[in-house]
Amino acid sequence: MLVPLDMVRAGEWADVEEVTGQADWVGRLAELGIRQGSRVQVVQPGATCLLNVAGCKLCLRGGECSQILVRPVAG
Amino acid sequence: MADPITVALVGNPNAGKSTLFNALSGLRQRIGNYPGVTVEMTKGEFSADGTTVSLIDLPGTYSLAARSPDEMVAVDLLLGRRPEEPRPSVVVSIVDATNLDRHLYLTSQLLDLGVPVVVAVNMIDAAAAQGLTFNYAKLSESLGVPVVPIQANNGTGLAQLTTAIRTAAGQTAPHGPAFPVAFDQVAEQLQKELSDEIPTFLVRRAIIDIGGYTEQWLIERYGARLKSALIGARDKLATAGHAVPGVEARTRFAWVRTAVAAAVTKPAVRPVTWTDRIDNVLTNRVWGTLVFLLVMFLMFQSIFLWAKPLMDLIGSGQDTVAKGVEGAMPSGPLRALLVDGIIKGVGGVLVFLPQIMILFGFIAVLEDCGYMARAAFLMDRVMSRCGLSGKSFIPMLSSVACAIPGVMAARVIENRRDRLATILVAPLMSCSARLPVYILLIGAFIARPGSPGWLPGVVLFAMYMIGFTVAPLVALALKRTLLRGAPPVFVMELPNYRRPKFTSVLRRMGGAGWAFTLRAGTIILMAMILVWAALYFPFTDANGESYPERVEKAEDAVKENAEKLNALKEKDEKSKEEPAEGEPAPPQLTDDEKAELEKLEEAAALPDKLNGEWKRGSALGRVGLWMEPVFKPLGWDWKIGVAAMASFPAREVIVGTFGILYDVGEVDTKAIGNKNADAEAKEKVAGLTKAVQDDWSKDPVRGKYGVPVALSIMVFFALCCQCAATLAVIKRETGSWLWPSFTFVYMTALAYVGAFLTFQIGRFIVG
Repeated sequence: MLVPLDMVRAGEWADVEEVTGQADWVGRLAELGIRQGSRVQVVQPGATCLLNVAGCKLCLRGGECSQILVRPVAG
Repeated sequence: MADPITVALVGNPNAGKSTLFNALSGLRQRIGNYPGVTVEMTKGEFSADGTTVSLIDLPGTYSLAARSPDEMVAVDLLLGRRPEEPRPSVVVSIVDATNLDRHLYLTSQLLDLGVPVVVAVNMIDAAAAQGLTFNYAKLSESLGVPVVPIQANNGTGLAQLTTAIRTAAGQTAPHGPAFPVAFDQVAEQLQKELSDEIPTFLVRRAIIDIGGYTEQWLIERYGARLKSALIGARDKLATAGHAVPGVEARTRFAWVRTAVAAAVTKPAVRPVTWTDRIDNVLTNRVWGTLVFLLVMFLMFQSIFLWAKPLMDLIGSGQDTVAKGVEGAMPSGPLRALLVDGIIKGVGGVLVFLPQIMILFGFIAVLEDCGYMARAAFLMDRVMSRCGLSGKSFIPMLSSVACAIPGVMAARVIENRRDRLATILVAPLMSCSARLPVYILLIGAFIARPGSPGWLPGVVLFAMYMIGFTVAPLVALALKRTLLRGAPPVFVMELPNYRRPKFTSVLRRMGGAGWAFTLRAGTIILMAMILVWAALYFPFTDANGESYPERVEKAEDAVKENAEKLNALKEKDEKSKEEPAEGEPAPPQLTDDEKAELEKLEEAAALPDKLNGEWKRGSALGRVGLWMEPVFKPLGWDWKIGVAAMASFPAREVIVGTFGILYDVGEVDTKAIGNKNADAEAKEKVAGLTKAVQDDWSKDPVRGKYGVPVALSIMVFFALCCQCAATLAVIKRETGSWLWPSFTFVYMTALAYVGAFLTFQIGRFIVG
């Protein structure tokens, strides 16, 4: 099941399936490690959310998170 | 003696680049500015075994995909396309050992530049603490370049790094990861269509970075023909299954993954680090916000507490120097220029230094330890409502103390539009220099006998609220109009916590102080001298006599007769006292004595009166008189107008100017609202309050509408950019005169409209 990243709850892990939006933004996120196939954890959801990407904390806006489609990882 | 080599230092933000730079080059640093852009690069120098190495510290970046002219500077410099700098002979790519996967992405781009690269793996201590083990020989083999493990903050591995740099210079350049053949073909074909001078690196970037700076620049140069060529190239790649920009991330990260897998062993479970534990508290919505408020409170408390004695010291130093010059020189325009123009101007510049340096000390500590990113994260939700990001919070808050450190603090914002919007609205926050104006006018017109005791406090609060509400609104308006653009990509990394380094904090403080004094100071000084001259010339009265001389003569007379006047005054006071019972009535003044007292009192007021006459007749005074119709809708007379205009270089000047225009002499701004001021200074303040009240009560408009007029002046001061120093700093920080001019114009217009509405509505209410 694909869901936008802003619908993943705090503490849950998910695999990124697709990043949509402007090329510039997609490229920037890829540089930071958010791209198809990478695993992320939502540390804190919200208007400004906090993600754990490969052991590194990134924060981005909730609205922008909705452009990242992920597959939640069970467990 | 070997040939000198140039080395560029490149790395992600938080990779420890500045620490390495400082460790290598020590104190031999200078800041390089580049025309047309706001970036600065620090340059340093060191010698290793007889080779002079000049080091350039490039701004931290996640990739070489330039999105703005600012980011392009680094790319151009690395390609040897900046006329100011030679092409680097070696590029040092500094990466974080605890996050190699991401940091090596930038390294893979650097390998495409055609310059020898040395990889410095930093923070090996933290990596070891996380249980990571490295095989550097293997890593070097897979990357194809030398790899040196270092710990920049204690100097580990620096000797090996310099050796590796010297060996690498002049060797053949490495190759980055191989892209799909289809991509190489497309790039080659596009290159053929352009002239040869465009480096292959840029041609490839133009294909990958859709809407990036390279694309814009090439289209500007080659026109629509190139645009269609680019679109065609991208279409071809998409049909081949290598659509941009994804092809770059896939290619590079696959390469990085292979290299890291061969050389790095990770523990099965990532241990919970200290950073994680601290973050549980500091990024918590409730606890984190509380800690943040506490940190901000402590920061501002210390700025006020620590800066005040230093500022007082600068003030008294200025007075001492002024007195010394006054004693040593004959009076005349030259002495007046030195004392009232230059010495006051220099003092007016230096007085900002303590606040700037203390604030930058705090910012350096908060940034270096990693807390700043957490603070920005917490404040982002609030700030995003006005179109800014959390990073704008500290600059805006700092501006409550003083807009100058606030504007300089906006350097922490990477997004150019956000940074500009923050800089442009920062001067709207009510700074500490507005306080004396508020207190003087509230004391004279709001806190009258009979008015409720809470009123002055409420009015003062309202003045501060003007800044707090108007600044975000203007920011929002700017972001929607002038600074509109693609919504900024707000992605921020929260780096691991580390201990700030004392020397780097000191360096930041010194750098900020130096930049302010040198570059902004000169402009401030010039503005101060200009207004001084406008109030000084012409200095002769209708009979051709010189005002300064008349004032001096009158002052000498006052000094000579001071004892006599005091004796008479004392006697006069005593004569009015009710005698105690059984005692004789006190002696009364004789008529002669009465006449003498009156004459002496008049003489005592003469210097102030002459000064007033002189300033009213000065160039600025005449302009004020001529501009009275402009001030009229605000409820002002020309005196208020002149005082407001004279305050454009520095708003606190208004109190002193008021004093001169209302014939009570120079009033010390510092004495306002200061319980510890000396008696004479306090008396002057009381005298000014009374003089303004008296003068206004004689006038039909200001007599009846004193309160609306006072409010209109306060609103004007709250919104106006009456601070040459702020404008000078904006010029320095934005690198152009456009933005300070814009700030000045929009704030003056805003202030005028605000004051106009205040007076007109107030007049309507008073009836």
